[in-house]
Amino acid sequence: MDFLKKLQNVDRRIIYLLFVLALAIPLIRPIGIPLQISPATRAVYNIIESLDPATDVVLLSFEYAPGSGIDIHAIPVTVVEHLMKRGLRWVGVSFSPEGPLMMNMIIDDLESRGYKYGEDFVNLGYMAGEENAIRLFSLDTSVFTTDSRGNSVASLPIMQGISTVKDFAFVHGFTSSDLGIAGWLRQAVDPLGIDYAVGVVTVSVPSATPYYNSGQLKGLLGGLRGAAEYELLIETPGLGASMMDAQSMGHLLILGFILLGNLSYLFGKKK
Amino acid sequence: MKLVAGNIFGFWMFLVVAIFTLVLINYSKSGKINITLRKIAGLEAIEESIGRATEMGKPIHFSPGLGDIIGATAAETFAALEVLSYVTRMSAKYNAELVVTIRQPNVFPLAQESVKQQYMAAGKSDMFKEDTVRFLSNQQVAYTTGVVGFMHREKVAANIMAGLYMGEALLLAEAGAQIGAIQVAITASMTQLPFFVAACDYTIIGEELFAAGAYLSQDRIKLGGIAAQDYIKLAVMATAVAGALLMSSGSNFLNRLLVK
Amino acid sequence: MRKEVPLVITFVVAIIVMLSAITTGPIPGTSIAISDLFRQHISPWMTIVSAFAVGLASVNLLRVHTRAIARKRNDWIYSVILIVTLAIYAGFRTYVELNLSNATAAANYALIFNNILTPLSAAMWALLAFYVASASYRAFRARSAEATVLLISAIVVMLGAAPVGALIWSRFPDVQRWLLEVPNMTGQRGILIGAAIGGFVTSLRVLLGMERGHLGSAD
Repeated sequence: MDFLKKLQNVDRRIIYLLFVLALAIPLIRPIGIPLQISPATRAVYNIIESLDPATDVVLLSFEYAPGSGIDIHAIPVTVVEHLMKRGLRWVGVSFSPEGPLMMNMIIDDLESRGYKYGEDFVNLGYMAGEENAIRLFSLDTSVFTTDSRGNSVASLPIMQGISTVKDFAFVHGFTSSDLGIAGWLRQAVDPLGIDYAVGVVTVSVPSATPYYNSGQLKGLLGGLRGAAEYELLIETPGLGASMMDAQSMGHLLILGFILLGNLSYLFGKKK
Repeated sequence: MKLVAGNIFGFWMFLVVAIFTLVLINYSKSGKINITLRKIAGLEAIEESIGRATEMGKPIHFSPGLGDIIGATAAETFAALEVLSYVTRMSAKYNAELVVTIRQPNVFPLAQESVKQQYMAAGKSDMFKEDTVRFLSNQQVAYTTGVVGFMHREKVAANIMAGLYMGEALLLAEAGAQIGAIQVAITASMTQLPFFVAACDYTIIGEELFAAGAYLSQDRIKLGGIAAQDYIKLAVMATAVAGALLMSSGSNFLNRLLVK
Repeated sequence: MRKEVPLVITFVVAIIVMLSAITTGPIPGTSIAISDLFRQHISPWMTIVSAFAVGLASVNLLRVHTRAIARKRNDWIYSVILIVTLAIYAGFRTYVELNLSNATAAANYALIFNNILTPLSAAMWALLAFYVASASYRAFRARSAEATVLLISAIVVMLGAAPVGALIWSRFPDVQRWLLEVPNMTGQRGILIGAAIGGFVTSLRVLLGMERGHLGSAD
């Protein structure tokens, strides 16, 4: 009876310690568990594959901060990698204050590899006002007069021929909040009829799924798992893929604890 | 000036629904209809948790969520501020110390004014101190860290969270659970519901957040609004069923009407 | 007057914002469209008011913490750290914003961001994993029939989401997808529609001045 009681009330520090081990060991010694690719991930890949590098420019919208970055940052990294592989140009914008800095982490890497700022990509910076700002920018991209480096946006080669969000061939958001899902849908996607896909934190997948099924979202990448699937598709393993084993082990451990808690609870009740 | 295509039906529906709501609110106000709300256990628990805080001599923590008063999250924040009014009244009634932590700068002056006025109305102006309503940070993680630290340091007896929540929901709720506070979460943030349900004593979900103000104040105007809400929902349900039947029988009449 | 003026401003601005989203063309008798009115007048005001709110809130933060220092309250040293950090961050960021072409300053600011704020935030966020583990262990018990259904679906969704699930049973991802797309979506839509209607009625009350809780009214 005492033992059952103990099992029902395992000290949370023991749970935390086991959890650290379950996450750390696969990171150090990967197991290589195979991964299935979901249709929502493949949808994003297919759209980008269908674009024409000669004429098409893609808009990327960054709405997340470093905190949630651990779950989501791998998504823009791999999507940008795909764009660069295909020679597609992209414009980055942000409606959350930390977004431009997250974007710069990707841009720094691209510049060190020889890609040209202003020609291959640009970071327009942050605009305050959340949904209102999304609407203003969607109707008229010139609300950004200078980019995050102080250049005149009108003079940038990549921005030639772009005046509204409809001039982009495809829009992809990366968001840790509802702003990037419902906000974009309400202010730009539905009223203007643009093709929009989004990368979200894992916890937002259930709430974003209805929009994907209704066709309002053209694709959906969910957290590290979404990033890992995408990395497999473009055959460039990165941060997402390297974390998948740890995620699996973490899930198994939580399951183990749930089962343990329940078995001790059920047996305790019978006695 | 004309309506943009895609908004025509929506605009007229807005007018119809708004007028209908106002009519019901007026009926309720003048006593032509009486509205009784079903019992919501979580809301009843707020008073109990505040009473407990008084017995323990520990403070109550209230958070109006992470949403702003502009944009799509405004309604949730306003609903949370209504709950704050009630919590302040109860805190005055039981002489329990209340601390309100704020994430959105825009919400700060409203929360401060609301708490101050409620204390004044209850004749307990001295209960309002400069640090009763505290702005912590508009950075989500910094705000969360501030609240978690505060709850651990002050060992709050009750933790009431109303409004919009995001990834920090479980961090806040689990911190409260660790110190044994009575926790009431009132939110329409669907992604965070599972975490609140797991870690809080009472979780009030979805539209119940918007009904909370009416429930707690029993104000006839607000009750009228709740009744309107239910009728509108019935109409939406009927439309959904009619739409499904029409689509199944090959007619997309309703679909065309809705996107007009 | 103290209550009426804010209510009138609320009503007028709300109507402009709403109509700006759904109308085109000039307002009858004028040459200005509502969307331009919104873009040129309301939107900048929203930014300005928000900026003042940040100022007001920061003053509160400073007063609470300077008082803690002056009265040498418990852990007052953290208040000192907070104020110093706030000053450094605000000063540095302002300098970067005013000198956008100064690449070195921007790079040094990014250094603080990447090496202090990012790991601190990530560490705080990573705590979620531990909290999920302890909360699910404590709360996910098959106490009733409903709780058991919740428990089983949680297990299936977790196994479907992690790659290891497919190794255990290849259909786990399919079952997970079905759970997300059918029962979950149905429930989500129901709650979403209910909450949206609740939000609509609350907004209407705020717009028409029937909701005064936020203005400190007793009702």
